[in-house]
Amino acid sequence: MTVQTSEFAAQSSAGDPWLHRLASLRLTLAIIALLLAGSVVALHNSEHMTWSLAVPMALFALNLASAVIVNPAFRRQSALLLFHLALIAIVLLVAAGRLTYLRGDLELTEGAVFDGQLTDVEAGPWHGSRFHNVSFENLGFTIEYAPGIRRGKTRNRVRWIDEAGRPQSAIIGDMDALTLRGYSFYTTHHKGFAPVFTWWRNDGEALFGSVHLPPYPAFEKSQAREWTPPGTTRSIGIMLQFDEVILDPARPSEFRVPRQHALVVRVGDELRELRPGGRLELAEGTLVYEGLRAWMGYTVSYDWTMPWLLAACIAATLSLAWHFWRKFVAQPWLAPQ
Amino acid sequence: MQFEMQLLWAAVIAYVLAGVLAIFGVLLGKRPERTVLGLLALALALHGTSIGLRWERLGHGPYITMFEFLSSNVWSLAFVFTLAYWRYKPVRPIAAVVMPVLFMMLGWMLLHDPDKGHVPATYHTIWLFIHIGFAKLFSGTVLVAVGIAGVILLREAGIGTLRLARLPSNERLDDLAYRFMALGIIFETLMLITGAIWAQDAWGRYWAWDPLETWSFITWLTLAFALHLRFAMNATPRTGALMIMVVFGLAFFTFFGVPFVTTAVHQGAV
Repeated sequence: MTVQTSEFAAQSSAGDPWLHRLASLRLTLAIIALLLAGSVVALHNSEHMTWSLAVPMALFALNLASAVIVNPAFRRQSALLLFHLALIAIVLLVAAGRLTYLRGDLELTEGAVFDGQLTDVEAGPWHGSRFHNVSFENLGFTIEYAPGIRRGKTRNRVRWIDEAGRPQSAIIGDMDALTLRGYSFYTTHHKGFAPVFTWWRNDGEALFGSVHLPPYPAFEKSQAREWTPPGTTRSIGIMLQFDEVILDPARPSEFRVPRQHALVVRVGDELRELRPGGRLELAEGTLVYEGLRAWMGYTVSYDWTMPWLLAACIAATLSLAWHFWRKFVAQPWLAPQ
Repeated sequence: MQFEMQLLWAAVIAYVLAGVLAIFGVLLGKRPERTVLGLLALALALHGTSIGLRWERLGHGPYITMFEFLSSNVWSLAFVFTLAYWRYKPVRPIAAVVMPVLFMMLGWMLLHDPDKGHVPATYHTIWLFIHIGFAKLFSGTVLVAVGIAGVILLREAGIGTLRLARLPSNERLDDLAYRFMALGIIFETLMLITGAIWAQDAWGRYWAWDPLETWSFITWLTLAFALHLRFAMNATPRTGALMIMVVFGLAFFTFFGVPFVTTAVHQGAV
């Protein structure tokens, strides 16, 4: 990037003309311009983001690699060589990361164990299936709120079994993730209330589960959801009602489930109000309302390239700084040229 | 709070005096450089004390509200520029270009409410300070390059040629500006790296192409383009100076525009 054109031109006159064209400094300039255009596309159109960035990145790797092969100047300028090699490594690692990464979202009720089910997931084509062996339990959380309903610290207690079979627990939240087998789980600002039910089917089988109402306080005025009990086609409307002020805009408060509440259940045109322990008889079975808990939204990410990418970025920065330092010290800016 | 604001106003007066003196020094062909340097040092001391008192009172640094953001940036830009002013005597008249930029930011700062803001939970990390520190060093070094580029462009346009005659040739100025831009790309790269580490810890992703990240990357690419252009195309001092202005414009928009017009998670207040 910073070697004189004339120096390169003089030293790279022999060899494959195609390789020389690929190693061109002007091509580097065009590729940077292409990356700029790709970044603008990424900003406005996520649909075409992958190709708008992948093509210039691939060209960039080719251009850099060709320059390293063709120009003997790199052999003498080790800092510059290291910088270019680190840039190539960054491009290759980003590509490897995109092929093997996983990113997803999940919601977990207090007391529930994560079983590998994600509400939203995106993964590279070469991502393996190790994720299904990852499990932890949400033991509950607290979130502080400052006046004006401004979210403060999140403290979420979690429990898991480590690879040696020993039970472990920790408090995660905000800047502290739970990392299991390379997968990092982060709490998010999504959380809300979860009515917990036991669904007794007519054949005697009982299913225990919860329905996650929309995030609170983001959807404070619409704490309702449609739900279909397992094994049925019947749609049931569930609405949470409470009069308490959970998050007081006037003073510091903490997210919690309401102490007094009622659950309004709509089946067809019929409305029923349920309290904890209340039952609702349906043709397909019996719904027992066990009580109200909270749910927490998590994001999970996996990218094995991250530490290597960080190392390559640091190597690139340090080698560039080293190159500039040597260059500038060798010729003070006001010295005769 | 009243004493903090009094100190801040005293600093504003010292900045303005330093700037006015620097501009009139160039216009009248005088060299009040020691006085300008003294006033800048005084302004920095007063402003720094005001920021420190506010930090102590609120329990957090100057990085939450627009008022704090502008105040701390004026301080860091003035600090880097004062160092350059002290170290590079032959180019001291560039203060006539740089100080109006600081005046504009000071005016913008004074338009904002100095009330306290809310500290998002993800701001309780050492990476915040490192990330912001590199960002301030980057913008400071680019501001010095802008001062030098401004002189080149004024001369190229035939404005103030006589008054700016005592500065080194455009080629020499271009070389010095290039050095500041080279320093700038190191600091901006470190800013992006530390920002990525912070983003990974805070939101579980080191890069998500959110508006602030993308504009920072666009600024970085433009800076890389500007540096590379010198060698690939043997760019003239005028072209180099124009590229510096473009980089500064992008950096200014990224730092002072994007965080306050987007609702992306980067704001930290969700």
